[in-house]
Amino acid sequence: MPRLLATLATLRGDPRLLKLPPYLSALCIAVGVVWLLLLPLNDFTRRTYISENALLPGQVNTYFGGSDKNVFRAYKHEIEALEGKSNIEINDELENIWRGIGLKVGRQNYTYHSAGHTYAGENAYAILHAPRGDATEAIVLVTAWRNVKDEFNRNGVALGLALARYFKRWSLWSKDIIIVAPPDSRAGIQAWVDAYHDTHDSFHVAPLPIKSGLLQGAVAIDFPFREGGFDGVHIVYDGVNGQLPNLDLINTVSYIANGQMGLHSFIQERIEHSDKYNDRLRTMLRGMMNQGLGHAVGAHSSFIPYHVDAVTVQPVGNGWHDEMGFGRLIESTFRSLNNLLEHLHQSFFFYLLMHKDQFVSIGTYLPSAMLIAVNFTIMAILMWVKSGVGEDIPKSTEPPTVADSKAVEGNKDAVSETPSTPAVEREIYLPLGIVIGCHFLGALPLFIFNHTSSHLLAPVFLLFALFNTLLPSLISNLVQVTSTRPLSLQQFYILKCFSLLLLGMFLSSLATLNFSLAFLVGLASAPLSFTRPWPANAPVRYIYTALLNLLSPTAIILAGVAAYAHYGAGAGVGDSSNTNTLMSALEHVLREAAFGWDVWGLYIPVVVWCVWWPAWIVGSVVVWGQPSSSSSSSNKVKSA
Amino acid sequence: MRSFLSYLIPLLLLAFDVFASEYHEQLNLKPLPQSSLLASFNFRSNTTLPDFAAHNFRYFPRSLGQILEHVGTRELHLRFSLGRWDAESWGARPWDGTKEGGTGVELWAWLEADTEEEADHKWLTLTNALSGLFCASLNFIDETRTTRPVMSFLPEGDHGAALDRMHLLHGVLPHEIVCTENLTPFLKLLPCKGKAGISSLLDGHKLFDASWQSMAIDIRPICPPGQECVLQIEQTIDMVLDIERSKRPRGNPIPRPLPGHELKCNASKPYHSGDACFPSDFDAGEDWSLDRLFGKSMKGTCLATNTELYPVCINVPHTRDIFATGGATEIKNPDGLSRCYQLSSEEDFSLILPHMSREGDNAKTTADEYVQPGTPLLYAERSFTGHGQEHGGVRSILTNPSPDTEVEFVYMETLPWFMRVYLHTLQARVEGSSGTKDDIIQEIYYRPALDRVRGSQLELRVRIPPASTVFLTYDFEKSILRYTEYPPDANRGFDVAAAIITILPSTSPDAPPALKKASNLRTTSLLLSLPTPDFSMPYNVIIFTSTAIALAFGGLYNILVRRFVGADEGVDATGGLKGKIARLMAKIKGAKGKVD
Repeated sequence: MPRLLATLATLRGDPRLLKLPPYLSALCIAVGVVWLLLLPLNDFTRRTYISENALLPGQVNTYFGGSDKNVFRAYKHEIEALEGKSNIEINDELENIWRGIGLKVGRQNYTYHSAGHTYAGENAYAILHAPRGDATEAIVLVTAWRNVKDEFNRNGVALGLALARYFKRWSLWSKDIIIVAPPDSRAGIQAWVDAYHDTHDSFHVAPLPIKSGLLQGAVAIDFPFREGGFDGVHIVYDGVNGQLPNLDLINTVSYIANGQMGLHSFIQERIEHSDKYNDRLRTMLRGMMNQGLGHAVGAHSSFIPYHVDAVTVQPVGNGWHDEMGFGRLIESTFRSLNNLLEHLHQSFFFYLLMHKDQFVSIGTYLPSAMLIAVNFTIMAILMWVKSGVGEDIPKSTEPPTVADSKAVEGNKDAVSETPSTPAVEREIYLPLGIVIGCHFLGALPLFIFNHTSSHLLAPVFLLFALFNTLLPSLISNLVQVTSTRPLSLQQFYILKCFSLLLLGMFLSSLATLNFSLAFLVGLASAPLSFTRPWPANAPVRYIYTALLNLLSPTAIILAGVAAYAHYGAGAGVGDSSNTNTLMSALEHVLREAAFGWDVWGLYIPVVVWCVWWPAWIVGSVVVWGQPSSSSSSSNKVKSA
Repeated sequence: MRSFLSYLIPLLLLAFDVFASEYHEQLNLKPLPQSSLLASFNFRSNTTLPDFAAHNFRYFPRSLGQILEHVGTRELHLRFSLGRWDAESWGARPWDGTKEGGTGVELWAWLEADTEEEADHKWLTLTNALSGLFCASLNFIDETRTTRPVMSFLPEGDHGAALDRMHLLHGVLPHEIVCTENLTPFLKLLPCKGKAGISSLLDGHKLFDASWQSMAIDIRPICPPGQECVLQIEQTIDMVLDIERSKRPRGNPIPRPLPGHELKCNASKPYHSGDACFPSDFDAGEDWSLDRLFGKSMKGTCLATNTELYPVCINVPHTRDIFATGGATEIKNPDGLSRCYQLSSEEDFSLILPHMSREGDNAKTTADEYVQPGTPLLYAERSFTGHGQEHGGVRSILTNPSPDTEVEFVYMETLPWFMRVYLHTLQARVEGSSGTKDDIIQEIYYRPALDRVRGSQLELRVRIPPASTVFLTYDFEKSILRYTEYPPDANRGFDVAAAIITILPSTSPDAPPALKKASNLRTTSLLLSLPTPDFSMPYNVIIFTSTAIALAFGGLYNILVRRFVGADEGVDATGGLKGKIARLMAKIKGAKGKVD
């Protein structure tokens, strides 16, 4: 033991120790990325399984069919007649039909304002009282009038009505069944869920006139008109802010579709899934993208932040299954949910799905984001140590080049002779002020992009992006001008130390909430670990600044928008007006972000503007820095 | 509903007239909107107090009588309920809500005792005895679930001066699932034990498939002026049957889709055809018969019941066609809204209500099918607000539908101790009336909870102005339980008992007759989700430590107990025939030794 301590003591003074962290940090990033890429391999994924035994998926006979199809056709005629009518007229008719079935009907108004637009409407919903129940628990069937793509959910609404009538005939329900028909899948259902949990803003959203018990699960039907039958179901599960429903629910639907109904099931829009590495990786990355963006991808998404597990089910493919088959899938799923004695809690809430029946749980994937977050912490600690070492010592200890091993050995002896390095006073106030100031400055873009009218969003963003490239040098100059003497090298170390410390801390805690967002932000800000002032080496400084500008939040948002315009929205728009599509895509994305902030309560903008952006600004300031005389002399020695 | 109760008034009067050992039973049927049927079974028997004291039980159930006598119970009310009364469609409650309980099991009793401790002790004995008698978990009504209501319950019997020594205790089990095992002991208390009379219709399959059902037992002493005091037991079963569902045969209860041509369709729709049918389920009316609904016909009468009291009555307009089986006499009530049947004691009885055509010359409407139910005095609804694991709120919405009468009532909540109420957040907001806000809550009785000892009890005397709605809200904090205090299925949540609303009789002379007497109302129960630990974690720890101990102990024990002997020092390991013989000899020697 004493020998170990002695070794440690000598090691502590070893200047090579200070050389190690940057490599360690780079290694962390590399391992983190490789780790993620390894996940789709068979050795890391697990097969999904039903953890909650009470669910018993696919164990019941389904009886929805026969003459119920006649009823379904009639409801479909009714729904088709309502296409294009006003929200109120539609809800009047829905209310009529529901009351005819014998359900309790409620309606609720809502008005949201976001980016100069008004999203208003009226939700209609019906409660089927469990015949022997006591309003303590409920399951929800959502049949939005329009789906997230703004398509008319013709079959979905009709199926919801036919199922409601069919469910009414059973007496075995242990939970109330609530059928919600919001006018759209984005604002309306959010208003309904908020009001159900009494967290709504009563100026914009009306309270619900009738309520039932605790929500135990929700299934949304997204079934617009399609030619012919289908042979598979697409399960959409991402929730708002990247939260996910319990894996048991997804498995239940998937299991019923595969085992009982003879349907295929798909996730993340990978309709042709070969279950090979390539497809698994794509599925996973798409899932991570959705999780990182945190937006609502279906009517179910708004339920998940309230710990109500929910999925949206869509028919896909071409086959012989008709709407009644889809109804039987919903019936069987509801029977399974009805079996639940407890709230879904057995299975995973944190997972990455690779395939409909392959997943990776949090214990396996978390290290990848954590390693990336840790790299910032390592560098922060290094900076703290460096800033504490007197400037004379580094001058003598720091060799001009890393490869000069002889000098290192010579210095090692010198260090062991003087084991205690002279303590240096750290001037922390100015760097601390800059870091804090930058983080508070993040409120500015956050405010601007959530309070600008939508037609101004794109120009304002471009303006901001331009301003953003100039901001670091501006701040740098501002500091030089205002403070009595320019920042010393030590202060740059401390500046970087605080900034990276905060970044590492935020990202590692974010990784447990929204893994994908933490991973993506961590990856994009990886170069921030290796920033340092290059006062004498102008080309390196400019190259590094260019690199940072390429990976700035604004640049990455623009790149994302361009990709979206190219792959997503650009499909329908002519290619000729390329800049125009880009601008409209930018406006669309920014409007979505503002909508998410105002309606869904997304916290992703906070992460971007108050965590990532300030860290980027500080990093750029460090690169742009011109340390004051004493340190620059040391650099001169170095460069000499 | 008032007309429905008008039946019970002569019945009550009769009960006061004839007070020997008596037994009455009556079944009241009342069709409700949306093809539902309310069936109220009422059984009542008396025994005089001297007979009771002399253990001379005749119609009074001996098993119950002995328990009552042992624990000094003067008045007892026991309720088993399931489902919820849909006041919006079905109107006012049967018996003014006085014969129903909150979901689960509810028990309250007046016990004779000198001190509170003695009363508690007797209450414990009573709940345990009843628990055995009714196969219900009544023994789980411990001190944390027991309250002593102050304003809500009033004794129904005549107790005289003994009232001063009596203690009222009340307990609820909201999570108790009422089922067949509770019905069987209930029927055993009846003189005919479900073999004859109206009780022969009662069957667990139908009763517990009902949309709402309540079983009640009330025991109270009654002292009519100038006559001997009697102890009366009244057993009531109310249920609302879904006619369409109950008509399904017992062997095939699955609601398979009807054949297409049997669907009732709205033919006026433009797309109406062979393969598209807009259903008109409730408009067409239902045909039903007693034996089809209950799965069997009524077997004669039980005992020679009083001729003045008809065993079966039905509340329908006189325009409704009804056929009764032979041997029964129909007596129409002059008010035009009901009729009763006098049965022969031998023959089976059934009622047949045929389908009444909505078309043709003699078209009937829904008004001919059932009497429109009366409006209840008060609508009550209660739900949780907020979400999360730490705080929550309760919101009760109480609506007085009457345009001109104000309603005064006592609102009582019994909350478990882990729901810490913030009484200062209690608010009453009134909507829809010009009434001032100050006098909504007239009086508050609050007994705060003690952790793990007793729950909180909140009684509010509230007055609601006509045609207005009161929103009663308060906040609470969820406490964290100890690991062992969680029940099985902890993630389900904890049931919170229904709030009990006692509408006080109006003192004003021009009040409507329904307000002249006390009536009751209960909200639905609630499910409270508390922060729940991951129970698999300690389980893992237990398994891990057990494995470690088992390995360590196994090894240690092995080393301690086993005798290690060198291979060459052992018993001469001679094999072959010689060795076998030697072993055989040793065995024989051993056996001999035992014999000696």
